[in-house]
Amino acid sequence: MNKLQQINYSLYIGILFVAILLFLCLFGPMLAPHSMTTTLEVQYKDGGVIAPPLAPFESWAYPLGTDQWGYDILSMILNGLRYTVLIAVVVTMIKMILGTVIGMYIGTWKKVPHWIVAFENAWSYVPLFIIVYFFLLPINNATLLEPGTLITYFIIIMSLLSVPSIVSSVRKKSSEVYKSDFIKASTTLGAKKSRIIWHHIFPQLKESLLVMFILEIVYVITIMGQLALVNIFIGGTIVRFDPLIYLSVTKELSGLVGQARGNIYGNTHILIIPLIVLLFTTISFSLLASGLKNKFQADYQRTPWIKTGNEPKIAPNRKNYNKKKSDKKLNASHLTFMALLAAFILAGTFVIYTSETKVGVKQESKASYDIAFQMDEDGRFNVQSDILIKNESEDSWNDIMFFYPAEQRNINIEEIKIDKQSAAYEIKNETLKIIIPEKNKKARKHKVKIQYSFEMTKDSMNVLADWYPAAAVYQNGKWSVEKKDYAQGPMYHSRFSDFDVQYQTPEGYRIVTSKKDDGAIEEKGSVKTKSEIAFPVVIMKDEVFVDKETTSGTHLRLFADLSAAESEDLLQQASSAIEFFNEEIGSFPYEQLDIIQSDADTTQTYPGMIVLGRDVSAHELVQSVAKSYFQSNIASNPHEHLWISEGLSSFAASHYLMMAENQSETDAFSVSLSQVDRMKEAGLGRQKSNVPLSELKDFGFISAQPALQINMMINERYELKGVDPMDVKSQYLAGFYKQYRSKEVDTTEFIQFTKSYFSVPSGYFNNWLDTKASR
Amino acid sequence: MARFVQQMVIIFILILFLAALPTMISINMEEKSIQWSFSQFPAAVSDFISQLSQGNLGTYQLGLQERSIAQDIGDNFITSLIIMFFGVVIAVFISVIFGIFLSRLRMTKIFRMMMNVLSTIPDFILIVLAMLLAIKIYKWTGIRVISLRPDGGALNIWFPTLLIAVAPTLYMFKLIAEKYYQTSGEDYIRTAVAKGMNVHTINFQHVFKNIEPFIIADLVKVISLAIGNLFIVEYILNVSGITKFIFQSTEIQPIAIGLISMLFISFIVYLSIRLLIYLFKRGFIYE
Repeated sequence: MNKLQQINYSLYIGILFVAILLFLCLFGPMLAPHSMTTTLEVQYKDGGVIAPPLAPFESWAYPLGTDQWGYDILSMILNGLRYTVLIAVVVTMIKMILGTVIGMYIGTWKKVPHWIVAFENAWSYVPLFIIVYFFLLPINNATLLEPGTLITYFIIIMSLLSVPSIVSSVRKKSSEVYKSDFIKASTTLGAKKSRIIWHHIFPQLKESLLVMFILEIVYVITIMGQLALVNIFIGGTIVRFDPLIYLSVTKELSGLVGQARGNIYGNTHILIIPLIVLLFTTISFSLLASGLKNKFQADYQRTPWIKTGNEPKIAPNRKNYNKKKSDKKLNASHLTFMALLAAFILAGTFVIYTSETKVGVKQESKASYDIAFQMDEDGRFNVQSDILIKNESEDSWNDIMFFYPAEQRNINIEEIKIDKQSAAYEIKNETLKIIIPEKNKKARKHKVKIQYSFEMTKDSMNVLADWYPAAAVYQNGKWSVEKKDYAQGPMYHSRFSDFDVQYQTPEGYRIVTSKKDDGAIEEKGSVKTKSEIAFPVVIMKDEVFVDKETTSGTHLRLFADLSAAESEDLLQQASSAIEFFNEEIGSFPYEQLDIIQSDADTTQTYPGMIVLGRDVSAHELVQSVAKSYFQSNIASNPHEHLWISEGLSSFAASHYLMMAENQSETDAFSVSLSQVDRMKEAGLGRQKSNVPLSELKDFGFISAQPALQINMMINERYELKGVDPMDVKSQYLAGFYKQYRSKEVDTTEFIQFTKSYFSVPSGYFNNWLDTKASR
Repeated sequence: MARFVQQMVIIFILILFLAALPTMISINMEEKSIQWSFSQFPAAVSDFISQLSQGNLGTYQLGLQERSIAQDIGDNFITSLIIMFFGVVIAVFISVIFGIFLSRLRMTKIFRMMMNVLSTIPDFILIVLAMLLAIKIYKWTGIRVISLRPDGGALNIWFPTLLIAVAPTLYMFKLIAEKYYQTSGEDYIRTAVAKGMNVHTINFQHVFKNIEPFIIADLVKVISLAIGNLFIVEYILNVSGITKFIFQSTEIQPIAIGLISMLFISFIVYLSIRLLIYLFKRGFIYE
């Protein structure tokens, strides 16, 4: 019994809790069940209504409930916790280092000047949170400043302001130590000041400094909490009027508490849950600090002479100076610590491996291609394609669906093997269905080998967009194989895959792919790309190009039959569009962009490639550059969600014309406006943008309509996000691209993102999107 | 005395600086950066002093209404002073009693455990939790524990006072308990024990007298803690105290007047506690 009482419980529990906290800080966002933009919509289930705010423990999907707007509280906490802990630790680190060094040096002065003492006293009179409050009050506006700026500002202000109190306490402690006999002895022996400070004073202080460090973390969190109660949230406050509400940008814990302060009267869980987590955070650190303090106290304290009632029960840990190294035994606390570390690492690895992105639509299959083709003098292609397909769904597959490159002439399939056995297959509606043999159905990976050949016209230029059997996407328990017959946009629903292509051509043919090449004509070569939505190949003979380097470092090549002035013009326009998007949306995804002129009706954008149609307008060219972002790097099922890439890129193009070329809004959107006028004249009436393409009445409904509607929405709501509507448009496009890059979107994802971006209800989109359709 | 004046001057400058901060920091809309204009400080200060010398305390915002400070400062000052004074007195009383004189009792053990648990909880969380509890009590029993109306009278005062007392009590109790433990290991205590003095005498004559300097030294810290919580408590519980001038305004006048009044309040509280301790010593220790 006595032995059990001697254990330093608060130390061990503190270490465990802090470890849990650090774990959640590192992996919190991965563990979060929902993304920060997902909201719970009102649902009818089993005769009851599920509507936000949802109380905790009512739904498995929202374990800790939601707030009044439907955001998942658990996800907010898991995302915000890292801000709280990290900011507190960084602030503490800065102020402790500064305070300790300054304090120790001042502590060794013979006499401390009056003004320092007076300043310290004055400083300790005004509560720190009031000082920080006045520093943050005029600027803590999230609509005007970036959260990063505000966090950095807070860290600097907070750490500088709290240095004096640390200096004061370190100064007092070190001047106390400075009076000791061993310092005098050392001075007599000729030790310099810095030796005394770092070899004699610092070792005496280090334990109490450690305790102080941890307590100061709690103190910083406390200040953050106090600030949050007066509506100053770290990282910025969003103020909404009618009704007056304050929101935290970072979802940092004390901010979550502060923004839920109004919930003290009802729906208290929105307030209590973040409060409990915040409490857990501070208690973990406090326990650790008090555990360490108990340990040091037990080790160093003298025993009292009268009964005081608070004698430490913890067994002191005495230093044994005569111990040999070989005598060191692993004791229980070492083992426990190692077990904790191992658990931390194991759990972390587990989380990394099992976590899946919550952003975007889930795709449940994955393919990588290894393709080799030879082209002979007659224009016949012999292709061997090895495809590795992973099943990431819970189902076991009976077959695998491919899109059949039906566009090519005289296709001849020579051999199809799956998992090294020849397989039965079926070609129907431009799809290729490969049956998986019975015994391999449970396998999670399939190797498919397809050997086929086709013929190419012997033109000087051949654009091969659809030339290899592309694996369809498995989603929601079925293969997504609808192929669309529209010329615009990607042909079919595909996902980001890795390609490794080897080619061999007769002499004199140039191969252009999405990857950067040095422009030399070679008969043999290989190209590897990572995470691309498709792998188009252009084969040309006797074509020359003009090229240009943009200031942002993208290499532009133009293959066209144009005069020098015209080429120069076109390249100039494309490069200024790239530079603009590079600046406003995000870095241009390709090192090299090939612009190829063809005599097709429409312009097509492929990864790293634009194939121009006849008579391209400025808007169309810029739009196709914008598609390098919104079509080539954000996947979607074109059958229903083609409007997202078309609409956003059309909007981006008009935005470019307005901002970079100073056109008026009517001029910049003239393409979209005239499309809408044309549709009106044709008497097409109204149609939503996210209808299946087979029902679509006019292409304008999926490009002009969304572009104009998005523009209208931002013009209406921009004040929530900034001062200048043009900046907000750029920010919105950049935000969307950043959120969904290399992921798949659909209408629901678009609505969720936009809804939380501009704080609009789902009903806001009702007049141009079917908000109930799909998913 | 010179030192005292020096300190007052520093505090005064600090207060003016804080009050002028909202006018000195602004956002640069063009570059989206933070802009400092320290050059405005002298102007703001001279404006404040000239206003003050004309006997004009200025106005402050209360909701949408603009009110004169001079009209409200009396009541608000008294309210804040009462809350602060009783809060700190309760804190010092409880911690001295339990920290020294009743420290060895079994009852104190429970008290100490409670204090240890509470002290791990940051003050602002305690305040929010206490409010939640008060509202729950009202919902369960119908007994109104708190009032959030500024004209609530005593109902508006006692709860804030209690909340103000919490943080100083936790701090002071911990400090005293620790010092008590340290002091009892000293040689003069051994001498006293060896002489056969009883525990009460030792506690009064030896321990308290040696702990008193620490109490006085940390009184400033305790009052500052209480002031910090006063801001939060008055803001959340909607008490018409001195902080009404400070929040909701960005002008130098109300903020500076609020902070200076705060300074007076802490000064009065500090002196009164010193006086109380002096009386205690006179009455109990030197018979």
